[in-house]
Amino acid sequence: MSSTWMTTRAWLLMLPLLVVMVAVIGWPLVDTVGLSFTDAKLVGTGGNFVGFDNYTNMLSSSNFSRTLVTTTLFAIISVAAEMVIGVLAALLLNQEFRGRAVLRALMILPWALPTVVNATLWRLIYNPEYGALNAALTQLHLIDAYRSWLGEPGTALAALIVADCWKNFPLVALIALAALQAVPRDITAASLVDGAGPFNRFRFVILPYLAGPLMVALVLRTIEAFKVFDLIWVMTRGGPANTTRTLSILVYQEAFSFQRAGSGASLALIVTLLVTLLAVAYAALVRKTAGSAA
Amino acid sequence: MSALEIRGIRKSYGSVETLKGIDIALQSGEFLVLLGSSGCGKSTLLNIIAGLAEATSGDVLIGGRSILGVHPKNRDIAMVFQSYALYPNLTVRRNIGFGLEMRGVAADERERAVNEAARLLQIEALLDRKPSQLSGGQRQRVAIGRALVRKPQVFLFDEPLSNLDAKLRLEMRTELKRLHQMLRTTVVYVTHDQIEAMTLASRIAVMRDGRIEQLGTPEEIYNEPATLYVAGFVGAPSMNMLQATVTGGMLAIAGSDGRVPLPAGYARSAREGAQVVAGIRPEALRAATGAATDMSLPVEIEVVELTGPELVTTARIGTQRLTACLPPRTQAAKGEKRSLTFDGAALRLFDPTTGKALPAI
Repeated sequence: MSSTWMTTRAWLLMLPLLVVMVAVIGWPLVDTVGLSFTDAKLVGTGGNFVGFDNYTNMLSSSNFSRTLVTTTLFAIISVAAEMVIGVLAALLLNQEFRGRAVLRALMILPWALPTVVNATLWRLIYNPEYGALNAALTQLHLIDAYRSWLGEPGTALAALIVADCWKNFPLVALIALAALQAVPRDITAASLVDGAGPFNRFRFVILPYLAGPLMVALVLRTIEAFKVFDLIWVMTRGGPANTTRTLSILVYQEAFSFQRAGSGASLALIVTLLVTLLAVAYAALVRKTAGSAA
Repeated sequence: MSALEIRGIRKSYGSVETLKGIDIALQSGEFLVLLGSSGCGKSTLLNIIAGLAEATSGDVLIGGRSILGVHPKNRDIAMVFQSYALYPNLTVRRNIGFGLEMRGVAADERERAVNEAARLLQIEALLDRKPSQLSGGQRQRVAIGRALVRKPQVFLFDEPLSNLDAKLRLEMRTELKRLHQMLRTTVVYVTHDQIEAMTLASRIAVMRDGRIEQLGTPEEIYNEPATLYVAGFVGAPSMNMLQATVTGGMLAIAGSDGRVPLPAGYARSAREGAQVVAGIRPEALRAATGAATDMSLPVEIEVVELTGPELVTTARIGTQRLTACLPPRTQAAKGEKRSLTFDGAALRLFDPTTGKALPAI
C-alpha cells in the first residue's frame, strides 16, 4: 500500500471529527471575531462595522481593569492555596495507615461533584440566616452575630476562594499522589541513613519528583481559575458591588445582560488571548522543568 | 568486643517468617558477604541492620551498643544501594557531602572530606555534574563516596554491582577490594553472585529460607561446604553430585559401573550399605592419561564447550551426568568414552536425606 494512500486514508478517517470541530469551535470563533468589530446587539440585525472601537473602549474602561485585578487575585490565591493543600493532602495520603484507601477515594468527591452542586453546598454553608459557618463561629465565640459572608464586599471574594479550593485541591492532590509513587524507595532510604529530616527529605528527595507533574497541575488550574464562571455565577453573580466579578462574568454581563453582543465578543476574545498567553508561557516552563529533571 | 553483632534476629510479615534466627558476630575490619538467592532474607537482614526495617525479635549491636529502635542516621552506618539512590537534582559534590551537610558539618570541613573521597574513587573531575550526566559505574562510585565520606563504623552494601554490566562489575569489584584493603572498615555486603562473595569476603554467610546455611571463610565455603545447598550454590559450574552406595569400602556410583575407593576419612561416617551423595567439583576432574588409576570414573562424553581458558565437558556416567572443567587443549569429542580421574581428597560426601555433609575425620 502506498504511503500517499495511507496519508489520504488517515485524513479521511479524521474528516468527521474535523467537520464537527470546525462546526462547533471553528465557525463560532470566526463569527465571534467578526462580531467583535461590530456594534451588534444580542437580538436584531448584524450591526455596523465599528473597527477597533469595542476593543479600545473595553481596554480603557475601569470595569475591565477592576475585573482583571479581581480575576488575577482570585486565580493567584486560590491556585496557590490549592497547590499547598493538595501537596500536603498527597503527602498525608501517601503514609501507611488504616483506611487510607477509603480516604483516598473520598478525597476525590469534591472534585468529582458538579460545580453547581458544590456552589450550592457552599451557599448553604455561608447562608446568613442558617448557615453552618455562622453557627460554628458563633458557638466558638469567634463572632457575635451572624454575617452575610457572600453579601459583604469585604468577605465575598475570600468566601469564593475557599469554595474553589475545596473543589479543586483534590485534583492537585491526585496528581501529586501519583507523582509520589515514582519516588524510588532506595532514595528515601538513603536520605534516612544520611540523616535528612522531614523538611530536607521533602526538599531534596521528594520535590524533584513532584516538580514536573505539579507544574502541569499549576498550568491547568491557573487557566481554569482565570476562566472561572459557574462557581461564581451560582454563588454571587459577581456581587456584591461587583467585588467578585471575574472576566468571564463580565463577558456574560456584557453580551447577555446588557445585550451588547459586539462588545461582549471583543471582551471574550481578549480573555481568550490572555489565557492563551498563560498557556504558552506555562508550556514553555513545563518543558524547561521536565528537561532539567531528566 | 565485636564491631557488629547480630543476635537471634527474627522477622515476620504476618504469618510468614522471613528471618528465622540469625546470629553473626563480626570483628572490626571484617568483610562479611550475605550470599543467597532472592527471597532468602539477606536484604531484609541488611535493612534491619540499617534501621530501615524492624526485627520482630533479637538484637543488633554496633560497637557493643544495641541499636534497635535507634534512628538510621544515629547508627553509625552508611549504605550503598543497588540502584545507587543518588539525589537527582544535586551535584555529585553535594550528593557525596549530603550526609555531612545534614549533620551540620562546616562547609570547609565538608569540602575537604568530599575531595578526599573523590580522590580515592577517582571521580574528582565529576564533582560538578548531576547524576543524570554520569554512567552507571560513575554513579556507583559516587554512591560509594557518599558512604565513605561519613567514616562510619559499618558499611552496608545492598547488591551494589548488580546494575552494572559484566566488565564494569569486575572493575568495581576489584576497586571495592582495594578500598577495603586500604580502609579496613567493617563491611556487610549482600549479593546473589557467588564470585563476588568468594572474591570480596573475609567471611561468607550463605543464607537460605531465612537461615544461615553456612558461615565461614571463602575457602571453607568452597572446599568444605556444610550442605548440598551450599555445595551447589557456590562454584560455577556447580559441584557434581553423584548418587552412590557404600559397598565393601568402595563407592558404587548408582546406575553405572563406576566404583571408587571410599576416601579414608569417611570410613566411620559412611557406613556399609549407606546411600550417599558424592560431591566432586568440575575443576577437580582430569582426563585420564595412560593406565586407569583407582580414582577414576568411566564416562561417555556428551557435550564439549570451549570457554577459552577451559573446556567444559559434560559427560554421562551410566544414568547420571557429570561436568568437568578440563584444560583447553584436551582432546575430547562427543560420544568418546574416557576416564576422568581425581584426587580422593577432593571428594565430599553428603547425606541425601538431611543434605548435610558427612564428617571426614
